[in-house]
Amino acid sequence: MKKLVSALALVSILAVSSQAAKQVDTRLELMKDMRTMMDAMEQIQRGGLYSSTDDMKVGVKKLQGTLKSLESENVKAILPKDQVYAYKFAQKTAQMLRMYSDDMVTSIDAGKMDNALDDYTQLLKQCTSCHIRIRNW
Amino acid sequence: MERRSFLKIIAAGATIVAVNPSLIGGTLYAADGRMFKAYEKAQIVDAAGVPIKASSLEKEVTYIFNYPFNSTPCMLVNLPEPTEQEVSLKSEIGEEYLWKSGVGAKRTIVAYSAICAHQLTHPTPNDSFIKYVPKATPTMAYAKSGIIVCSSHLSAYDAGAGAKVLSGAALQPLAAVVLEVAADDTIWAVGVLGSDKFQDYFKAFKPELKEFYGGVAEAKTLVSISAKTVKLTEYSKEIIQY
Repeated sequence: MKKLVSALALVSILAVSSQAAKQVDTRLELMKDMRTMMDAMEQIQRGGLYSSTDDMKVGVKKLQGTLKSLESENVKAILPKDQVYAYKFAQKTAQMLRMYSDDMVTSIDAGKMDNALDDYTQLLKQCTSCHIRIRNW
Repeated sequence: MERRSFLKIIAAGATIVAVNPSLIGGTLYAADGRMFKAYEKAQIVDAAGVPIKASSLEKEVTYIFNYPFNSTPCMLVNLPEPTEQEVSLKSEIGEEYLWKSGVGAKRTIVAYSAICAHQLTHPTPNDSFIKYVPKATPTMAYAKSGIIVCSSHLSAYDAGAGAKVLSGAALQPLAAVVLEVAADDTIWAVGVLGSDKFQDYFKAFKPELKEFYGGVAEAKTLVSISAKTVKLTEYSKEIIQY
């Protein structure tokens, strides 16, 4: 009986630790995505300033690769506890980032660089908009 | 009466009205005409095109109509109490203007641009983060409700006082839509009072305007004759309010 109880306790502890590890992993994953987003924005900016549409497009691809984490309910895992309720706002921001980055590529392909650079401004605005809210500027 | 005296009276009357246009009854108007832009008059109608009567507006429900442009959403609300009167307001660059009051039999009906003065949050067919919050519904934006809240960054506006800013990051009131209630109780939008964000909106949301209106040019078409008005719950698939 004692052995059974000990075994059950051990299994429970292992299950809880594994769950906690998974949550921590999710948070680290999402934080990694945030750093990738910053790299992506830098690359788009660099492309814009050095007149490299290739760089801009690579930056867009990198940025869009991170949006899934913001668009999913997993975003709750990275929000500060007092901002978790605002996860819909974060999801909306992700939608806007996708919209402007798609439009950037369309503008680049159409040779409308003014529009493309304007889209960069809007992308940055979306980033700061969310950070103002979530990081309590 | 001699013709000269008659003409003098007419001229005097016209002068009085020109100096104080609020003598034209039932309008929300700056006392000296500043910060007011007249647009084509548009009757507020329902989805079927039937004129909406002022007395039929449900209390504390956010209605949405596009005015003065095809793509610029506005909120129409029948407040639970009469509004304040003669509210002094200022735009973010310091332009002063006067919001007279709500319209309707009890001065409870108001309309404002639904484009937030902070970062241009606005209702779309997909979602809305800005709305009137009824008195009984709590909000994180302000201590009391019965106000307009933008749940993007929690700006709060006083719906009964020209949408002046109560709290949050917005630097100016929402632009007010000037309404007239006709003798048959129908409602007309006739202009915009205050500092609006329409041009910023057109610039910032080009891809969205392409998606919903077919392009910026179409989005900038002026509304004429009538403005279809529906409840926000029918306009947007999802309403988010904090």
